[in-house]
Amino acid sequence: MNSRFPNAGLAAVLLTAALAVLPLAWGQRKPARPAPIQFQDVTRAAGIDFHLTCGGPEKRYIMESLCGGVAFLDYDNDGWLDIFLANGSTVGDLQRGAQPNFKLYRNRRDGRFADVTAKAGFTRGCWAFGVAVGDYDNDGFDDLYVTCLDGGILYRNNGNGSFTDVTAKAGVSNGGRWGTSAAFGDYDNDGFLDLYIANYVELDLEHLPVFGSSVFCQYRGIPVSCGPRGLKGSRDRLYRNNGDGTFSDVSEALRIDPEGHYGLGVLWGDFDLDGKLDLYVANDSTPSLLYRNQGDGKLQETGVTAGVAYSADGREQAGMGVDSADYDHDGLPDLAKTNFSDDSNNLYHNDGKGTFTDLGGPAGFGPISIPFLGFGVKFADLDNDGWPDALVANGHVNPQVDGHAFGVSYAERPLLFRNLGNGKFAEIGQSAGAALRLRKVGRGLAAGDFDNDGNVDLLVSNLDDSPQLLRNLGAPRGKAGHWLRIKTVGTRSNRDGFGARVQVTAGSLTQAGEVRANSSYLSASDPRLHFGLGTAAVADRIVIHWPSGATDTLQNEKSDQELVVEEGLGVVRRSAPPTPARPAGPRQK
Amino acid sequence: MTARFQFFLVPARRLRLALLLLGVSLWASPQTASDVQALISQGSQALEAGDFAQAARSFEKANALKPANREIHRALMMSYLQGENFVQAISTGVEAVQRWPRDPEFHHWLGMAYFQNREAAAAIPQLQKAAQLAPQDVDVHHDLALVYLDQQQYPRAAEQLEKVVRLRPRAALDHVLLGRAYQNSNRSLRAIEEFKTALRLEPALPLGHYHLGFAYASVGRDDEALAELRQEATPAQTNPEAFYQFGHTLLESGQWQEAVTALRRATQLAPDHSDAYYDLGKALLLAGQAEDAIAALQRAIQLNPQDASAYYQLSRALASQGDQAGAEQAMARFEALKKSQQATGGMATGRDRK
Repeated sequence: MNSRFPNAGLAAVLLTAALAVLPLAWGQRKPARPAPIQFQDVTRAAGIDFHLTCGGPEKRYIMESLCGGVAFLDYDNDGWLDIFLANGSTVGDLQRGAQPNFKLYRNRRDGRFADVTAKAGFTRGCWAFGVAVGDYDNDGFDDLYVTCLDGGILYRNNGNGSFTDVTAKAGVSNGGRWGTSAAFGDYDNDGFLDLYIANYVELDLEHLPVFGSSVFCQYRGIPVSCGPRGLKGSRDRLYRNNGDGTFSDVSEALRIDPEGHYGLGVLWGDFDLDGKLDLYVANDSTPSLLYRNQGDGKLQETGVTAGVAYSADGREQAGMGVDSADYDHDGLPDLAKTNFSDDSNNLYHNDGKGTFTDLGGPAGFGPISIPFLGFGVKFADLDNDGWPDALVANGHVNPQVDGHAFGVSYAERPLLFRNLGNGKFAEIGQSAGAALRLRKVGRGLAAGDFDNDGNVDLLVSNLDDSPQLLRNLGAPRGKAGHWLRIKTVGTRSNRDGFGARVQVTAGSLTQAGEVRANSSYLSASDPRLHFGLGTAAVADRIVIHWPSGATDTLQNEKSDQELVVEEGLGVVRRSAPPTPARPAGPRQK
Repeated sequence: MTARFQFFLVPARRLRLALLLLGVSLWASPQTASDVQALISQGSQALEAGDFAQAARSFEKANALKPANREIHRALMMSYLQGENFVQAISTGVEAVQRWPRDPEFHHWLGMAYFQNREAAAAIPQLQKAAQLAPQDVDVHHDLALVYLDQQQYPRAAEQLEKVVRLRPRAALDHVLLGRAYQNSNRSLRAIEEFKTALRLEPALPLGHYHLGFAYASVGRDDEALAELRQEATPAQTNPEAFYQFGHTLLESGQWQEAVTALRRATQLAPDHSDAYYDLGKALLLAGQAEDAIAALQRAIQLNPQDASAYYQLSRALASQGDQAGAEQAMARFEALKKSQQATGGMATGRDRK
């Protein structure tokens, strides 16, 4: 029989022959009832007036599709989250030397923000991508590192609302490389934050690869922007903080990314709970990397053997954003990674022996993402029930897909996963408010309680569009879960307390989190740890394991408050939930 | 005539009628007319009996006596097609479409002759012409769609099948084909609707639930997928794909032990199904049965030595058993295979090579 096209029972043969095809399509279900988590877009009401520019609308070049760093940070230490938005540029503007600027918005504590960019004094701009937040000089004020198409900029927070470009002095210029995500973390536990920068591809702006010109410039047979395959990868950098305002590039010494993968997402985290920060880097179209901290100042790359380099079937994925949380409360931090469309997002369950297993399928987290191209990802307990939920910002990289019946679209809705507390998630995005039903070209994503009302809010950047400040409306009165927020202040450890592991036991539930700002895609989130406590009005026991090795233990802390915990001193300040004078948006009735 | 030539059943009946209507009156010379009529009769009887070679010989002689007769050409072409003499069918068809360029049937049959002769590029314009000349002929759209499906031109196949289901809305198989075309052009939601329609029209449609389940799984709707696939995975089912897809979806959704059962059944039905052995190994590993997993993965590798994923999985299985040397060896083979495989696009999807 002719196996290619037998003339016997033509239709039946075709039917069976089609079994191995990998289909893709736009799949959405519409839940019948409103979800227990509701968001409202309050961007305009909050006074955020920002348009993310990232090349032309056709996205003829790869860098035009990847902008969108956002940050929740408290730059003025007033206890209220402010907002930083990185902006891109266009090829034309770049060639003309025009310098776009970033935006800094100060939280006015009434649900609105004031544009304080001018006062911030960002003297140098760039075609920006990511933003990392951390107090690198331990002066009590969070600083900013902005990654650019041609290097990066370290802005030292002067503590008076202004910033100073200290890139050259600090030695963190990133050598003109195209940086994407960056993250501060103290890998050597010396009390000073080090800086990792994921770099993407080497790009010659004078000789940009021609749209649609090769197999690497096609998506399902249609011409699109080129890359990253076919382009030379740019090696990531790790800068060690010398403790004197300068950094040393230790990339060579520590054999960081010697093959030059296409880096996009960065996450510091103590995944083996040995008190030393490990590092996970999501790479595009190449294996992702897991650096295990050996504790002797060295990092060993273990991604493949740990099971987090590839998909569960050993295939490269287009890794974009990363985040970590102990989603099943087994005491071990797990990993989430977003990927390209036609692929599942990963939920790498930490097996506790240095290995992970992708349980995205069983958890209801992976397969549903197949039609979506994921970028930002954040875990946060959005309904205060004690279990970390997750949001994924989606949007394709090729606007050309809209002209074809591929089953994927350029603009896509985000995916909102509610943790069911049994190892599984339910995707409830379509019933969580109109804002989450909108299709946008989502990129950066940060989480933080900007109005300090005890509900974690979200900030999403959208390509060639306004960002979305998504206010978490919380549960109706009387049904809201309790919560506890913890801000860490290191003394022996780094001032931000990045890397501190906090365990909270309330009733029968013990949960843990690790202090960090930088994760997701290009973004930085509220470093304060937020724990939903459900019906528990008291946290029975709180243990803070500091990177220095010190431990602080607290007992019987009431819920619904923020605790500022200083290393070695315990609680130094308590903040009751505020009564906002004028919330930016109406609460759902 | 056997079922394998079902495609030509209807045209054959039409042909017999046409030959009958020819009649002797058409022929100028009574002797010639009588000879031709006799040859036509012989040819028709041979066609009926399934002796296509004899039919072809009779119609060749009739054609020699009356070379410009359209229906004799038609009968001759039919004989060649049924006898799988596609080269002669093409030759006759080319001549026919030159003589009678507005006859949609010749274009249709010539297209199918090309197609059967593995000349899809030549088949498509003939079938397109037939569709243009006979836009209401459901068979033409159907056959053009089948060629497109074979050529993996799924959007075009869907376009034709949409016409087919408009013209013939109650044929379940047409909806299945349209569903597959949608599925393979990434329109899974539409595919789901077509598969549902097919099952409404014919609840016992073979593999109907399989297709619907496959479509659900492709958009991550595993629960609905499993509900459909479970209906196919019956003791009477003999199609290994039904068990493979059921097992695969069970595996993806974390029901590892049940996945093992389904995948074992798939491998019993298809002992050379490397993907089924791969999934079986993966399911066994996740279910904590590493030793059995190793055996299944080794079988998958034996069946498909180029499957890098199987080495990756085997490495993890061996490592879980403490066989570090074996794990490293499998991982080295995995890495080597990956390096030898070509990237398929600008960005990886994690499904590039499956």
